[in-house]
Amino acid sequence: MTLSMPSILLVGIFSLFGVGLYGLLAVRNLIKVIVALQVVVKAVLLALVLAGNLRGQVPLAQSLGLTVLVADTVVAVIGLALAVQVRRCLGTLDLHALASLRR
Amino acid sequence: MVQIVILAGAILCAAQAVRSKRLLVSALWLAGTSALVAWLIYLLGAPELAVIELSVGAGLVTVLFVFAIHIAGEEPQALGGKLPRPAAWGLTGLSLILLMMLILPGMGVRTSIPILLPFAEVLWQQRGVDVLLQVALIFSGILGILGLLAGSERSGPDAEKEVS
Amino acid sequence: MASTLILLTIGLPWAGAVLVWLDGNRRPRLQNTLAVTFSLAAGAAALALIAFPSSQTSFRLPVGGIFGDFTFLADGLGILLAVIATGIGSLAVIFSIDYMRGEAELGRYYSLILFFIGAMAGLVLTSSLLLMFIFWEITALCSYALISFHNDDPKAVRGGIKALIITQVGGLGLLGGALLAFSSLGSYEISELLKNAHTLPQAALAWMAFGFLAAAAAKSAQFPFHTWLPDAMEAPSPVSALIHAATMVNAGVYLLARFYPAFEGVPGWKTAVVLVGVVSALMAAVMALFADDLKRLLAYSTVSQLGYMVYAIGVGGIFASQFHLLSHAVFKALLFLAAGAVIHAAGTRALGEMGGLGSAMPRVRIVFITGALALAGIPVLNGFWSKELILENGLEHGPVWGYTLMLLTAGLTAAYIFRGVWMVFYGSRRNTHPLHDAQPAMQVALWPLAVASVLTGLLSGPLGKLFAATLPFHDLEALTTRAILIDILEAPATWLATGVVVMGLAAWWFRKELAPVFRFFLWLGSPARNSFGFEDFNRAVVRSTQAVADLLRHTQTGYLTMNVAGILIGLVIILAILAWGG
Repeated sequence: MTLSMPSILLVGIFSLFGVGLYGLLAVRNLIKVIVALQVVVKAVLLALVLAGNLRGQVPLAQSLGLTVLVADTVVAVIGLALAVQVRRCLGTLDLHALASLRR
Repeated sequence: MVQIVILAGAILCAAQAVRSKRLLVSALWLAGTSALVAWLIYLLGAPELAVIELSVGAGLVTVLFVFAIHIAGEEPQALGGKLPRPAAWGLTGLSLILLMMLILPGMGVRTSIPILLPFAEVLWQQRGVDVLLQVALIFSGILGILGLLAGSERSGPDAEKEVS
Repeated sequence: MASTLILLTIGLPWAGAVLVWLDGNRRPRLQNTLAVTFSLAAGAAALALIAFPSSQTSFRLPVGGIFGDFTFLADGLGILLAVIATGIGSLAVIFSIDYMRGEAELGRYYSLILFFIGAMAGLVLTSSLLLMFIFWEITALCSYALISFHNDDPKAVRGGIKALIITQVGGLGLLGGALLAFSSLGSYEISELLKNAHTLPQAALAWMAFGFLAAAAAKSAQFPFHTWLPDAMEAPSPVSALIHAATMVNAGVYLLARFYPAFEGVPGWKTAVVLVGVVSALMAAVMALFADDLKRLLAYSTVSQLGYMVYAIGVGGIFASQFHLLSHAVFKALLFLAAGAVIHAAGTRALGEMGGLGSAMPRVRIVFITGALALAGIPVLNGFWSKELILENGLEHGPVWGYTLMLLTAGLTAAYIFRGVWMVFYGSRRNTHPLHDAQPAMQVALWPLAVASVLTGLLSGPLGKLFAATLPFHDLEALTTRAILIDILEAPATWLATGVVVMGLAAWWFRKELAPVFRFFLWLGSPARNSFGFEDFNRAVVRSTQAVADLLRHTQTGYLTMNVAGILIGLVIILAILAWGG
């Protein structure tokens, strides 16, 4: 494994991905879950652009990245709306209390 | 070199966003992450995407977060999730190691395919399906929001009847 | 042109379903109109397809990857069933205008029926095994939802779940067969399978053959899966007419007919099919003889007649079975809808509480008797021609024990339906409920079916030609209507069968004189009411499925973190396989 710039960048991007992933597993508030999801998607965007840069296909990477960005924004928007509704109807955003399927 | 610094900064901001106890602070750290990521995307040679990421990630999404947190209200954070900390670390680390094992060895290969079309043309002509999908997504997102917000105006049982 | 029509036949009911559901129960008149319009439009599209039959794929949607291509094909078999599904579907919807007047949640009802009609049309018009499985599942879903339509009635809900579980267990056989075909041949195309069946390894072909037989038996309520159909009678009568008499239960027979050329060489398959058909027909006829609920009687009758169709396929008479499918769809839908009118008027389903209704409901009586005569196989009506054709095929190509038992069943059929007619319309009134004859919308649905029961026999020639022209693998010959009808009339089997039918009728008419003989057979009554022990088998299937579901429930706690952890574990496993599996 060479210590070239792209490799280091890739390791960094994976670390960002890992931070988001850990966040998904460790947080307890519904809105924090959405924050962690956003972090994961930013890492994905970076990876896409890096790949495009290395292969010389920057416009293609940008269009794919745009699609990912739009989808992620819609997810964030609806997720936040849902979180607001959950707070209004169920009174809490705590994941532990929201596990109502548990026997 | 600058790129590595920016990336390190982004990772730090993201870690703080996940770790912080207050939701509002979390959203602000997320905005910081977005800004740094946008700058990095610009440095990697994708200016259009960088601008969009900056305006959407650091602008729109942050405003939405602040708005939602304001409506939902902060609540005292309980500690400790269901999953024990070591398990979370272990799972994350394992997936990362496996990903890196699969991807890093292929990094040495550098193939260069010439850029044929600028971004706008690629977006429209070659990835037209993507654009249609995005429009459809945005529409369904708007409909979803309207549905959710409309349902909240009535009280619980009525809202259920309407949705069914 | 054919591809547009195919898409219209499938898409129009679905569009109607969405529109009716969006209306939200505020305007029942609008919902009625929308439902009727869209189902009639789909019927028109299906009828128009008759002009464009072909044995080649009409429409191909390349999806790629493991899904293959989504292909659609309008050949004779498909067009026949699509026309039946949309035509009888429209009539059932028209009937529902009066039958479901005043019911709440009409939106759910109509949208499910329309969704079902579109899915059924799709099932028969597709030539991709995977797409056929998908449509199969959609029809099962709609059937479950419609059986438990009155979801505050626990009996209806139980009936719905039972039907769902049993047909899904059979559906596994279909999925397994589809996947086997894909792994052996590399494609889901039905024509590929029919062409290359002999190149498949014997074991794989045998698994597929018996898997499909199980799926067909479960869907068409044949032995040993026949107990869900009587319990599905909790559904509203138009639903019973459409789904459980004319369309969904025919999907199993359709499956067997479609894949017959591929499986006829598998040792033991044809005998198994004949066995399933004969046992179902005979057992169900006996159960119908002892039934005391009008709709259950018709349900047993459906099982029995489907047994005839399955038996016909087993002896190689594909055309005979599909011809009987057409006749049966028409007269059974007629009987169910007429029974619906009777139940709507009398307020009860129990035969013991009816009687003497003929004078108050003359029109319903006439159409019901027409359907009954067709069912019994009285000459001139469509049931006579198709049943005799089946029996003729059975005598020529099938085992003698099969033929004898089917002959006996024909007699029993006449006896039980005559009993039904008598107990409902004649005799003394045992009911003081205020009566009314069939209402206008009901009559609009009933009369065309009654007329069709008399006339569809004449369609045998054109139908035969359509099949022979568009089903290259099935080896059929086309004869004119005249030739077919004369052939049936001249066959000795016909006269034998007619004699048995007359004996069946006479047995009921002279029941007082024959009472000592009947008392000998009364011991059959109690096992007949318990479906000869198969009720327990089916109940065991249902109960074990629900037990497994309960056990799996512990993994679904709704805790988001655990769900994410589950996703990550799956990701790690896949990555590990990729990293070390190469």
